[in-house]
Amino acid sequence: MNAFLATIKTSFRRQLTYRAANLSGLFTNLMFGFFRAAVLIALYQEQTVVNGLSIRGAITYAGLTQAVIGFLSFFHWYELMHTVYDGRVGSDLLKPINYFHYWFGIDIGRAFGSLIIRGIPLFLVFSLFYDIILPGSILQWASFGMSLVFAMIISFSWRFLVNLASFWTPNAIGIGRFAFGLSWTFSGFYFPLALFPDWFAEFCRLTPFGASIYIPIQIFIGNIQGNALLEGLLIQLIWIFILIALDRIILSLGMRKLVIQGG
Amino acid sequence: MQNNLKLLRKFLGIQIRAQLQYPVSFVMEVISNAIILGFFFIAFALTMTQFGEIGGWTLGEVAFLWGIAEFSFGMMDMIFSGFDYDFFGPMVIKGTFDQLLLRPVNITLQVLGSRFVLRRLGKILEGLIIFIVGLWLVDVEWTIGKITYIPIIILSQILFFGSLFIIGATTTFWTKERLEILNIFTYGGSEIMSYPMHIFPRAIRLLFTFVVPAIFLSYFPMTYILNKPIQLNAPSIVPFLAPMIALILFYLSLKFWQFGIKNYQSTGS
Repeated sequence: MNAFLATIKTSFRRQLTYRAANLSGLFTNLMFGFFRAAVLIALYQEQTVVNGLSIRGAITYAGLTQAVIGFLSFFHWYELMHTVYDGRVGSDLLKPINYFHYWFGIDIGRAFGSLIIRGIPLFLVFSLFYDIILPGSILQWASFGMSLVFAMIISFSWRFLVNLASFWTPNAIGIGRFAFGLSWTFSGFYFPLALFPDWFAEFCRLTPFGASIYIPIQIFIGNIQGNALLEGLLIQLIWIFILIALDRIILSLGMRKLVIQGG
Repeated sequence: MQNNLKLLRKFLGIQIRAQLQYPVSFVMEVISNAIILGFFFIAFALTMTQFGEIGGWTLGEVAFLWGIAEFSFGMMDMIFSGFDYDFFGPMVIKGTFDQLLLRPVNITLQVLGSRFVLRRLGKILEGLIIFIVGLWLVDVEWTIGKITYIPIIILSQILFFGSLFIIGATTTFWTKERLEILNIFTYGGSEIMSYPMHIFPRAIRLLFTFVVPAIFLSYFPMTYILNKPIQLNAPSIVPFLAPMIALILFYLSLKFWQFGIKNYQSTGS
């Protein structure tokens, strides 16, 4: 447990040291937030609510998705693969900490570092430019926070799983590109899922990707409450359970398969 | 000059042969890239089913903008990938760029020949399909002028995006790291060029008119092709400025690049 906490702390500090990179990423995501918000405003025109999503909700959605990119790191993460290909995985496996916990610790530190230095400031600046929706009660804030943490765990266990492909093949980057492409699409990152035809939105919501971005944002803007909110959290928990179980199984299979390159 | 071209052909030949080493996996990757990239447009199309139009433009009309921007960016990203700052930045940091400087061959040529990402055929294919969707959905009143202007728009966009890559690569001489902020103009530029640009707030529009002149490469020319009104206060000649703007920007980017090389100081690593 001590090693786990130490890993989180080190990774958190490391994330905070990249000031220029964080600032540059913040500004970039902010601009993309403005682009996406402008597109949504142009689509809505005079309509205030479409498919249950208000224009204010849609704008908030555009800002939030950009704010959580760094935190969830959902779209681009090949770090574990790189350690397999350059041989660092050998020393990582010798560390006095479970391999899954080791990477999980690194990712928790990275995610929360990024949230504090990049995500939250981005959203604050975004909110100066637009009339956004904020959660109205402590309970809503708390459930959003919980859902966001769940989302991060789903995101990590999905990325870990994808990266494990490198235990089998020397060219897992291509698999990663495809896998992360799926997360772009079905998470509702491009456009709010509520604006899709119902059958497709419902399908996306049930995937781990929808569970990672769409559910916390829906909670934030107050579109799901009460039982629907509990159902959303439950979907997330189910995915956490499934993905972590898969991670463990595939990892133990991969251990027998892994060929460590001399570094 | 002829010698240089021969050399460039050789550089690129090696790159292409290496990437085609596993043809089946290569084709799979191109197709899967095309699908994955195409999802953005599919998501947009699904969203459009709720709205019907954006800024007075239909899905098919937007597909013209979107398809051509994706196609051109893909072409550029394949040809100019040596200047991709995500790749070039690390080269400067690690000092591998210094190795190129030591060779008795034109440095621009070497950087151009250092990387040719054939995989970008996926993005090119995706752009082409979206453009075809546009052709299928919109009944354009074609004239000889319009038909000849389409390839000119594409070439201009390739030069335009290429200039941004060259400028981006040059900045890494000083910053010594890749700056994500450049993505606003490259990937962000191609994203906003995919929409009728009058929908964006004034500040964003001005930025993409006078700082990075993206609007001349996509929105203005396409109003001519599709007979759409320019919903902005602009002279009627603006649809035809694409090649001129692209050439000027390209010239300036090469000047900046040469200036960067002249003042380059190695990291020493």
